[in-house]
Amino acid sequence: MSFLLKYKQIEEEREIPDENYTIKDLLDEMELSPQTMVSKQNGELVIEDTVIEDGDEIQLVQIIYGG
Amino acid sequence: MQCSKCGNPKVIYKREQSGQILCKECFIESIEKKVIKTIKKEKLLDKGDKVLVALSGGKDSVTTLEILNSFRKRHIIDICAVTVDEGIANYRQAGVDIATRHAERLGIEHKVVSLKEDYGITLDEIMQRENHKGSCTYCGVFRRTIINKAAREMGATKIATGHNLDDEVQAIMMNYLEGNTDNLTKLGAKTESKADEFTVKIKPLREIPEREIGLYVVAKELEVHFDSCPYAMQSFRGEISDVMNQLAEKHPTIKYSTLRGYEKIKKILKDEMQKDYAHGRCKRCGEPSSNELCKACSFLEELGL
Repeated sequence: MSFLLKYKQIEEEREIPDENYTIKDLLDEMELSPQTMVSKQNGELVIEDTVIEDGDEIQLVQIIYGG
Repeated sequence: MQCSKCGNPKVIYKREQSGQILCKECFIESIEKKVIKTIKKEKLLDKGDKVLVALSGGKDSVTTLEILNSFRKRHIIDICAVTVDEGIANYRQAGVDIATRHAERLGIEHKVVSLKEDYGITLDEIMQRENHKGSCTYCGVFRRTIINKAAREMGATKIATGHNLDDEVQAIMMNYLEGNTDNLTKLGAKTESKADEFTVKIKPLREIPEREIGLYVVAKELEVHFDSCPYAMQSFRGEISDVMNQLAEKHPTIKYSTLRGYEKIKKILKDEMQKDYAHGRCKRCGEPSSNELCKACSFLEELGL
């Protein structure tokens, strides 16, 4: 069970650790604030509560930068 | 889970401050309606206005342009845009290119003005000088002067900037905490100066949280420059921003209540605290100034230019 993560220069396959693993869990793991990011699942915008499924492409876009 | 407005199960946003859950179409519509409401409530536009959009190519200015363009399409206003190239290597050019493409897409008059052409120095070169005052100090003053001049040259009746709810709340809190009552009297959706040479400034996005503007441009697939200025540092504004965002996690309406509270006391602040500046002219450039030299020219003299 894995998904493809796309974030800035990163493009990597990652394991899904458990069946209710959400985008919010992924953001927490990567120490990224949901306040500064938007997320896409298979090219479509989704909320952070979305559960990541096997074979998903998850793209994270940083929309807020400091300064 | 489904959209609170239309029932669409494909939701993209949970609005913490109201509990609304929205699909893409309803989210986009909610932002556009809110901005239009601010424009009407604060009387930001008059029929026949020529609005100069200060267009950096970032999410806030591109959103401002996009929504104001709906008034242009209905022949209520005309729009032009100016982009300031501060001369920041590996950063600014991308924004300038994006701004140019938006202006071309919409078919609006657009001007790119560089610090190098206007003042003979780039921000990068200023930052190499010893004893400089910090990048944001120069950038803010020079950019304001350039935008004001462009507004006059292009015959604009209003200048629209992309200030959002977070920017406004940060300004209110910063000025309050610093005891800067003079600056506190100057904030608002519409700022007018007594000097005719200063064009009226409007902030149509003032009630939209920064995060929602970011989501709006992604949802509408608008090309924007998402990047951090290399000179951005941990400023007092940044600290205030962190505190407000932290508070907003437990109190989702706090940015709105800060703005509303300020609006309630603003008139009293203005009546009691607003200074009446003597309006003269800068002896060097002729721009309106309360001192012998305007801020931009006093910086230029310090820099030996």
